[in-house]
Amino acid sequence: MGMDRKTRITELLGIKYPVIQGGMAWVAEYHLAAAVSEAGGFGIIGAGGAPAEFVREQIRKCRELTQKPFGVNVMLMNPEAEAIAQVAAEEKVCAVTTGAGNPGRYMAMWKEAGVKVIPVVASVAMAKLMERGGADAVVAEGTESGGHIGSATTFTLVPQVADAVTIPVIAAGGIGDGRGMAAAFMLGADAVQLGTRFVVAKESVVHENYKKKILAAKDIDSQVTGMSHGHPVRQLRNHMTREYLKLEKSGASFEELEQLTLGALRKAVVEGDVVNGTLMAGQIAGLIKKEQTCEDIILAMMEECGKLLEN
Amino acid sequence: MLEKLKAVIEENLSVEGVEITEDTDFKEDLGADSLDLFELVMALEEEFGTEIPSEDLEKLATVGDVMKYLTDKGVDL
Repeated sequence: MGMDRKTRITELLGIKYPVIQGGMAWVAEYHLAAAVSEAGGFGIIGAGGAPAEFVREQIRKCRELTQKPFGVNVMLMNPEAEAIAQVAAEEKVCAVTTGAGNPGRYMAMWKEAGVKVIPVVASVAMAKLMERGGADAVVAEGTESGGHIGSATTFTLVPQVADAVTIPVIAAGGIGDGRGMAAAFMLGADAVQLGTRFVVAKESVVHENYKKKILAAKDIDSQVTGMSHGHPVRQLRNHMTREYLKLEKSGASFEELEQLTLGALRKAVVEGDVVNGTLMAGQIAGLIKKEQTCEDIILAMMEECGKLLEN
Repeated sequence: MLEKLKAVIEENLSVEGVEITEDTDFKEDLGADSLDLFELVMALEEEFGTEIPSEDLEKLATVGDVMKYLTDKGVDL
């Protein structure tokens, strides 16, 4: 029995397993999203800073690889966020997740197109406002996550959000295997979202050098940059983070710091530059030791989680 | 009339002792981030018994913006 797990999220999204792949910029392109959805989870194309027409193309290519539902993550700070929001509605993707802001003004458009809306939240107040605005679920994401982060931990945020809203909650941040998943269910989640573990999936197109860094990472190898200007980002420490933190300590301006990170994620993902690139990864990187297919990742998690919950 | 509003802001953004006027900008002057603004909106709704849809949040940059917004909604400040 352990393997099957119907939750409000599997019902909402029409998927087999309550496992969602995070909509990571550059990393979460259509091959990865399609592979996760094919395996019974929920794949997400990360629009990141991409132009809207590129996102449309990604959605269409994903549909060529899978008939199963998948979603798009809209990064609301992208200058093309509005156009991307429109593309998601026009293409009628199953669901959108949103990051880095408040998706309130797109809610009506998505609802009308039948697109489910799942904002990523980092606090109870935000979760409540999103529920009232018509969100179908929320991703409660703890500071253990890679990339742009809030300050509450997954362990504290998930139960508080679960108590505050009646819509289903997806736990994210620091989950890398069946144990983390079982714990998330205990805390009141209806599904889990994983990022870092899928970065090193076989189907992920991320450069080999980047993957090797994650596979070699230890528990304490991630660092947070950008705290001083209110946009903290978690990544693996390297030459880039050292330079950045030195500058940040010396009181460098936001613009100066931005200059250092401009295009740095692309450098890491596409070119495999692990010295000057931004190696976004969560604190769970130290747990991840092998490259596996999305199907193997999901099935292993479901089995481990099932056994734990039966005991 | 600014007093009640001030109290809500002070309590929710933990900015006791900072001078608050109509021109005070939440982000620039009080160091509030987007999560703080969500907290503030929830508290304002409770205090003034009104509903502030989340898409209206971006209109509220300063204390004066909030005052005008609430007054326009018929709230007796």
